[in-house]
Amino acid sequence: MTSTIPILEAKGLTRSFGAVRALDHVDFDIYAGEVVALIGDNGAGKSTLVKALSGNLALDTGEIYYAGGKVDLSTPAQASKLGIETVYQDLALAPHLNPAQNMFLGREIPAPGLLGKFGFLDNKAMRLRSKTAFDELGATVRSLSDPVGSMSGGQRQAIAIARSVAWAKGVIFLDEPTAALGVVQTKNVLETIRRVRDKGVGVVFISHNMPNVMEVADRVQVLRLGRRIATFEANKTNMGELVAAMTGALDGAGA
Amino acid sequence: MTETKPAAGVAAAPNPIDGQKKNFFAHLTGIQSFQILLVLLVIVTIFSILAPTIFPQWTNIRQIVQNVSILAVLGIGMTFVIITSGIDLSIGSVLVFSGVVSAKAMVAYGGGGWDTALVGLLVALVVGALWGLLNGVLVAKAKVPPLIVTLGTLGAALGLAQVITGGVDIREVPVVLTDTIGYGNVFGTTIPLISLVALVIVVIFGIILHKTKFGLYTFAVGSNEEAALRVGVKVDKQLISIYALSGTLAGFAGLLSLSQYGTTAIAGQSQTNLNVIAAVVIGGTSIFGGLGTIFGTMVGLFIPAVLQNGFVIVGVQPFWQQVAVGAVLVAAVFIDQRRRKAAARGAGSKSKVSLANLWSKKK
Amino acid sequence: MKSKRRLVSIAAIGAVAALSLSACAGTDTGPTPNASGDYKLSFIQGVAGDEFYISMQCGIEAEAKKLGVTVNTQGPAKFDPTLQKPIVDSVVASKPDAILIAPTDVTAMQAPLNAAAEAGIKVVLVDTTVGDPSFATAQISSDNNGGGKAAFDAIKQLNPDGGKVLVMATDPGISTTDARIAGFEEAIKGDSSFTYVGVQYSHNDPAEAARLMTAALAKDPDIVGVFATNLFAAEGTATGVRQAGAQDTVKIAGFDAGPAQVKALKDGIIQALVAQQPALIGAEGVKAAVAALKGESVTAETQTGFQVLTLENIDTDGADYVYKSSC
Repeated sequence: MTSTIPILEAKGLTRSFGAVRALDHVDFDIYAGEVVALIGDNGAGKSTLVKALSGNLALDTGEIYYAGGKVDLSTPAQASKLGIETVYQDLALAPHLNPAQNMFLGREIPAPGLLGKFGFLDNKAMRLRSKTAFDELGATVRSLSDPVGSMSGGQRQAIAIARSVAWAKGVIFLDEPTAALGVVQTKNVLETIRRVRDKGVGVVFISHNMPNVMEVADRVQVLRLGRRIATFEANKTNMGELVAAMTGALDGAGA
Repeated sequence: MTETKPAAGVAAAPNPIDGQKKNFFAHLTGIQSFQILLVLLVIVTIFSILAPTIFPQWTNIRQIVQNVSILAVLGIGMTFVIITSGIDLSIGSVLVFSGVVSAKAMVAYGGGGWDTALVGLLVALVVGALWGLLNGVLVAKAKVPPLIVTLGTLGAALGLAQVITGGVDIREVPVVLTDTIGYGNVFGTTIPLISLVALVIVVIFGIILHKTKFGLYTFAVGSNEEAALRVGVKVDKQLISIYALSGTLAGFAGLLSLSQYGTTAIAGQSQTNLNVIAAVVIGGTSIFGGLGTIFGTMVGLFIPAVLQNGFVIVGVQPFWQQVAVGAVLVAAVFIDQRRRKAAARGAGSKSKVSLANLWSKKK
Repeated sequence: MKSKRRLVSIAAIGAVAALSLSACAGTDTGPTPNASGDYKLSFIQGVAGDEFYISMQCGIEAEAKKLGVTVNTQGPAKFDPTLQKPIVDSVVASKPDAILIAPTDVTAMQAPLNAAAEAGIKVVLVDTTVGDPSFATAQISSDNNGGGKAAFDAIKQLNPDGGKVLVMATDPGISTTDARIAGFEEAIKGDSSFTYVGVQYSHNDPAEAARLMTAALAKDPDIVGVFATNLFAAEGTATGVRQAGAQDTVKIAGFDAGPAQVKALKDGIIQALVAQQPALIGAEGVKAAVAALKGESVTAETQTGFQVLTLENIDTDGADYVYKSSC
């Protein structure tokens, strides 16, 4: 966390859906090599903010800066190119494809030479690199040829995270990464988050699980009604304060 | 992707790499298309026992293969389409329309040689591709459900074919086509040439579906279109290409049909779309998307053909054949459902078990 | 589990191998000549489920019983050469001594029937024909041209003052209906009191005929007569006329006498039916086939007649001409 410029910063983002203002001049920032927990009550705008910052949502107003430079994130591909990866709540995995295919979806390694030009793929290389990526995360993926749909929730989570981690250079967004997981799997995910942070990548994760937040986050940013109403250093706050912030008891408390 | 050491304290479970392809047989017997092959073999065995001097003879098998050839070409396109959880009802009409325009072009060009045939081929392919593009654009861009789009083009293409011809079949087809492709054999053998042509195309597209990026993206779009979109797969382009492929193959089938029947047979092909869909589904391709094989489709095509042939030879009333095919079709989808339920343990709410998905494009 | 799968796959491959060997080993003989006359005949209808072809089947089966030969009947679900061809191919493979067939297309069925003749099977064309019937042992059909004329005479009887008339046909290019239309059109040309508004094609689909009829009446409400060229066309035309409420003004002469049309005749919706004699066509077909198999002389072309059915004779001597729904 030596950089003084956030790797990703949002200023005054606004987006309405009809009469509902999902984002109301919301700010956000994350530095390289830190973990930020994004919390807030239902409908606070967390998922919408993540969508906006990952290129999946058009904005009415506001600016986004990546490594200090203003950027326009109108497609997921643009976000990807900058090094922003997202793991969605539904994991966005293709259940019929195997883990290696999912890992490389959209970024396949072509077969060498002329065959590659005709669309043939280097499955062996992709499988090898997938295995390496899973091993790095300590993820137990039992088979690289079985369809992902036949695997447990924990394994699928691991694959989705591994995919994002493998390709992310700047920021990873995780939307409720431990929501459907058991104790051991949750432990692994949190450990993964730490490891990713240690790589120098910024990790943003949305969570309702306060213990997880307290355990792994460096900073916590609280959204309420489409605005950022508080930022806390994790080691200087406690769960009670966070909940109070989410529910509005601390409206206006310093950011 | 950079290397990091696994942190101490967290067990790094050994990862059995499945880098080698699974043992060939284990892989083979696991898939539904092999199971359906067994069904076909059982049917073949039964008829061989009932009519041993007639049914298993090459003269009989040969004509089953010949009659299945045009359906095989159509089945390729339909397999791609159904893997994306779409459907193409227009193939029969596009076949007829392409045949009509191709025949008219060949008559206008004149002559009965291979140059004329080439003109006819190009016209048929282009015309088929255009209908396919129309289907694809409406499905991908206008987001109209494929069932509705292709129902529309089914009517439009057939209607236009009847407008162009006034309902009167065109019966002038270059002799080279009817003599060689229609009824000719591969040089020096009794293998029907039309079947060899169909086989070559089947193999080519089988490779494309199962070994190339285009095929992979077909499965990806069918498996989880949203996910594919989010990782940057050009879903619209993929869908348009697939429907265009189906149309082009229907166009090619139109030319093959001209060669085989010597006439545009405008009144024909009315049940072709359903027969091909049934074959694709029987062969193990899931109508819910994400799963399917060209090999399975070919087996699925042979089952109704063999059933009909066998019933005729044994002397059973023809209507029973349709009953039998219907039963096999329902059984195939039932097995597919059970397989999906078993595979999707823990898949949570992402259940696609609903025929409503045939009508809606969004999942 | 894996070994079980392996066993199954080996068994399957073994079965395929065994079958292919038997296929190669099997001899390919032509139909075995039968001195005792115990011949095997195959009848391929133009479309299954059509009373015309069912009546033909009844006539064939009755004659076959008389002559002591066996008959197997098959037919496509629709009057469609792409559906009939695989059936012909399968029948040819089963090597009957003779085939009686109503071809569904003059061009498309040429090659498959040539192949049948080349395989040594006697082919008798019943009802419809093909472009080059030289391979056929015999052709038996109604005098369709004369039938068309008779239909016109029936309409003229019903409308002595003349008026507009329409033809409701099925598809162009079918030899039988084309001949009927030709006969009808020739007869109209010779009578100036009638105006011909043209022919509509209903593609052998009664529902389509109904739609076309209501549309035609919307365009020309003063149509006085319709000649429907076959059973499905007549059914649909009658429905269309009833839907338009024109049963009192439009007189329909139908071709073919299926139960639905006979009912329509009795209900007064159709006024005349030109009945063919499908059972006779079938019986003559069987006779020709058996004669050919025995090496006796065969008449190359036989034309059968027709009977005009009206309310007057339908319950008396006309009753025999009604087509059957089952034998």
